[in-house]
Amino acid sequence: MADSQATPVDVAGAGVAPDGGKYVYCIIRSDRQREFGAIGIGGGQRVYTVAFHDLAAVVSDTSIVIYDPTRENVLAHEFVNETVMKEHTVIPMAFGTVFRSEDDVTELLRSTYQAFSDVLEKMQDKIEFGLKVLWDREKVIANIERENDEIRRLKDEISRHTASSTYFARMQLGRLIDSALEEIGQRYVNDIHDQIKPVAVASRSNKPIGDRMILNAAFLVDRAQEQAFDERVKETSRKYEELLTFKYSGPWPPYNFVNIKLKLEKAD
Amino acid sequence: MGLLSNILFFPVTGPVAGIRWALAKVQTVVEEELTDDTSVKQELMELQLQLELGDIDDAEFVRREAALMQRLREVREWRERLGKGVSGGLVRVARDDDAAE
Repeated sequence: MADSQATPVDVAGAGVAPDGGKYVYCIIRSDRQREFGAIGIGGGQRVYTVAFHDLAAVVSDTSIVIYDPTRENVLAHEFVNETVMKEHTVIPMAFGTVFRSEDDVTELLRSTYQAFSDVLEKMQDKIEFGLKVLWDREKVIANIERENDEIRRLKDEISRHTASSTYFARMQLGRLIDSALEEIGQRYVNDIHDQIKPVAVASRSNKPIGDRMILNAAFLVDRAQEQAFDERVKETSRKYEELLTFKYSGPWPPYNFVNIKLKLEKAD
Repeated sequence: MGLLSNILFFPVTGPVAGIRWALAKVQTVVEEELTDDTSVKQELMELQLQLELGDIDDAEFVRREAALMQRLREVREWRERLGKGVSGGLVRVARDDDAAE
């Protein structure tokens, strides 16, 4: 059972010998055996392909363990996919997917052949970019207080104690600010989407992380439009220079746009 | 009749049923918490963002990451113990004719 093994934190780089397991990074189309170098997870294992007809799984040898999604391990996984992506369309596998043997990997390719082929076709020359937008909440509030008459007036009244009930006035102020924040946030997000959508094939919004983030989106972009997309993102970030921070990443394999239900079960 | 019998027998059927229901609810909530890795993963993403933004240094990141990994492992153990699916780890193509494990 996987749980009786050393914890994955020990495995990474500690020289535990692989025992026939295959860590799968992604699926590609390939007509021949490929080598991608000693960049595999768990201490630089050799990364190579296991083929079935014109499909191949990109794998490295591993001991049968459950890998912790540490930054180190996740970066190793990503680096392999990044490397493969340079020359191939890639269907990324979830982090930590380990098969007991080469035969099990071939079985995966055989049983999901059509779905993999269809997706590889659809994702040909398409890459994913991530865009996270953060704001400085205090700055935005300061702007709101300056520009929103109702809020500014209420704030003045409170500070001059002219509001008949300061407690309720403060509550009212809080509510107005929250509501203005929400409205402005939505307006920024919509505008950013409108600016970028024309140069992307598809987009997907994920849950923002932390309370400074107002947008956490993935964009599917055609390679032919990569330049235009890049320029559009930079233009948009310049437009919001004072208020918003744009964190832009990629190209990634299309994690957010591939929707294949792999019929996998836990093996022992 | 139903309502009347409930009221008539309230001291017996009311609170007991109520307690049973509450216990079941507590058990569900506890089970959910033990087997939910979503919030741990959320914390992990927040941690990575903090590192990226320079709010924390490498040493702090590694320390807190280790704690989150431990929690993920615990969640996984609970999920296995309670017969729930786990992601990651050793897998194989599902066989339709296998009996449920």
